[in-house]
Amino acid sequence: MNWKNVAHLIKVDRKSGRLIRGRRLTRFRESRLLQYLLYGGALALGLAVGAIAGFIYSGVLGVADSQLMVLFHQGLLDLFLSLPTIVLIYSIVFTMMQQIQRSGVKFSVQAPYWLPITWEEHTLASTIANLLGFPLASIVFIGSAIIVVSIFVGEVVYAVSTLFALLATAFIASAITEIFRILQVRFVGAVYKSTGRAAVWVRFVGSLLFFLVFYIVYFFITSGPGAVTFVQTVASAQSAVWFIPFVWLGMTLYSLINGLYAQALVFMTLSLLLISSLFYAAVMLNRRFGLYEPPAITVSRGVYAPRTGFLGKLGFSTVEAALIRKDLKAFTRRRELMYIFIMPIVFMIIPLMQTLGATGGPQPTEAIPPFFFGFFFLLPGSIMATILGSMMIGEEGGAVWRIYSAPISPKSLVKGKYFFIVFFSALVTAVTGIVWVAVFHPSLRATLVALATSLLLVFALGAISLANGITGADFTELPRPRMIRTAWNLINLVVCGVCAIVIVAPLVPAVFTLITPVSLLPAIDLYQALVISAVIASVITFVGYRIALKNARELLTKAET
Amino acid sequence: MTMNYTSAVELKGVAKWYSKILAVDNIDLNIKPGEIFGLLGPNGSGKSTTLKMLLGLVQPDGGSVNVLGIDVQKDAVAVKRQVGYVPEAPRLYEFLTGTEYLDFIGDIYGVKAEEKRERVNEYLKALELEGREGDMISGYSEGMKQKVALISAFLHRPRLLILDEPLSGLDPRSARIVKDLLHELKAQGVTTIMSTHVLEIAQALCDRIAIMYKGRLLALGTMDELRQRASMPESGLEDIFLKLTGTGDIRAVVEELLK
Repeated sequence: MNWKNVAHLIKVDRKSGRLIRGRRLTRFRESRLLQYLLYGGALALGLAVGAIAGFIYSGVLGVADSQLMVLFHQGLLDLFLSLPTIVLIYSIVFTMMQQIQRSGVKFSVQAPYWLPITWEEHTLASTIANLLGFPLASIVFIGSAIIVVSIFVGEVVYAVSTLFALLATAFIASAITEIFRILQVRFVGAVYKSTGRAAVWVRFVGSLLFFLVFYIVYFFITSGPGAVTFVQTVASAQSAVWFIPFVWLGMTLYSLINGLYAQALVFMTLSLLLISSLFYAAVMLNRRFGLYEPPAITVSRGVYAPRTGFLGKLGFSTVEAALIRKDLKAFTRRRELMYIFIMPIVFMIIPLMQTLGATGGPQPTEAIPPFFFGFFFLLPGSIMATILGSMMIGEEGGAVWRIYSAPISPKSLVKGKYFFIVFFSALVTAVTGIVWVAVFHPSLRATLVALATSLLLVFALGAISLANGITGADFTELPRPRMIRTAWNLINLVVCGVCAIVIVAPLVPAVFTLITPVSLLPAIDLYQALVISAVIASVITFVGYRIALKNARELLTKAET
Repeated sequence: MTMNYTSAVELKGVAKWYSKILAVDNIDLNIKPGEIFGLLGPNGSGKSTTLKMLLGLVQPDGGSVNVLGIDVQKDAVAVKRQVGYVPEAPRLYEFLTGTEYLDFIGDIYGVKAEEKRERVNEYLKALELEGREGDMISGYSEGMKQKVALISAFLHRPRLLILDEPLSGLDPRSARIVKDLLHELKAQGVTTIMSTHVLEIAQALCDRIAIMYKGRLLALGTMDELRQRASMPESGLEDIFLKLTGTGDIRAVVEELLK
């Protein structure tokens, strides 16, 4: 193993992640600031969380209640024990999500194709590079927090051991992701071959199911009561399932904390064996299938015969209809864009899991706080419009020259893209809305107002984010499509957030009036408030659309890729 | 279509700066309708910028660009409608099949359905893409992608073709078809501007050749005129190119590399 090669390969991978584009799209500059901010921020946050928890332990619980102190201590040890397993699942989910969002574009630039690099070096570099970034920042955060809090609790040795276990865990997760990635390429190839023309739909449905499962697992273990239950379950159950390799790191800590040093040594050895086996399995699979090219997907057969679409009947020109059809195919066929279809499902399932879990089943409107219902109703469409708008131009990627060089006017470009954003976001609103109505049985008035407000938000935020998405477009495709520059993504989120607040604001007093007859805010009828919101949303939509047109004009005349 | 222009392309005093770099330096150029015109030059000589200015993709900082009688800065869309363009190493929409891509292009350029069907099927057959047209482009070889890009440039019967390395990756049969097609189109009055580093292709295909160097137009003319200009009456384009661009003395470079 040539360690210099490994270091260089990791550096290249990370460098590609740090490169950012400025206004001139042909020029790159490297931003280390984001990396420093990521790790520095994680460290600062971890230290702060650890210090606060430590202060609560010694400063508050220590004075008030020694019983609670014991519980806190025990809870902390439980957390130490379960962290490796939790982080393992978290890291697998996260790194796999990153992998699946990697560009589907094939380029024979992978070093092993043509450089004298061994598969061991390539696999190790790829495994380490996978866990840099957010996975490592998460470990920095957790590690710094538990070490600081353990100083107050007097468990520094266990905290440091836990930190090492976490690093080993992240490596295991990354190696599993590497194995999964290679197998997935091979498996997908076999599926394409066997399913023939259905391959494109098999891939679509398969990817959606994959995303769905991982999103649900991700949200379950990282948020709300699910996370607490998970910690408790893992802490109490992992010694019963000690034979499962993925809990061996946790079992090492468990043995260490309980003074079973010989057992700790056994589990540590087993863990090291597991790490080596996974790594060499990844190397072996890479050697076997690393250069495997999946067969082409056949979508249609026979002589080409153009079909006339229904979009023309809706008043779209041939150019606009062609753009919309092309984008629809992009979102159903490009793996890195398919996750957009999962978001609406996630928007429904996660709150449903938590709400129904907390309330024990469907509730009548009176029992649901109107804000809660409104929030659920408005969120999916708004988020979809914001995200879709920001990525609709950048998703063109390197093929954007086609848009530049074709006779597409700024008006057609904006109209085609805007329709796609609004149509898809409105569809999401409708589908999620039906689910909310079925679950919560809200009043007709509440439903109508929520639906109308949601659509207003879709129109306004879609226009604003499209305008920002054009200015901030990033056509970089490797290692994963960026679609919008980071700075513009943040600007877009802030602007859309402000616009959403401004649009919803007139409804707030009316909702307060519904909740409580005594309100400090002026009393206003819900429908009157809706009219004011509609006027504000129309102005924002108009302004956003005009800006989008202006930005599109600029984009098409300063076409630089 | 009636032609109410005497020059297919007319550049007058065109200049383009990128920050402090002068990419195109005060170029005057006149290309006649029906001409196959070669635009040559070393890397970074300003060829691509010049070609992009013809499509209105890059705004000149000085001078005027007229294409097919239209001021590009005033109506770039009208120009694009009549131009077929193939950039160097074109990226296609890889998630579309070959026919879906060409269907998209046909719609963008306003080709009628029946005409589109006829032409797409003809081109697919001629360039031997039949049988693979229903596959997603992501599964195509580079040569197949180049064929699709070329078909998309020819599909709407443009009056002007702007081709950057058009024969790159093509098999000999397809390359020959494209060359013959360009000659036939020339007879129909279609103008072709071609940029290539394969000087043999330029010499064989082009009526006139321009050599760009450091943003300037170093030489312009037919092969005979270029030979005269370089005082190399018996030489081929490669020797003329190397002499005119001042990069002719390459023996020392090779010897240095072999040390």
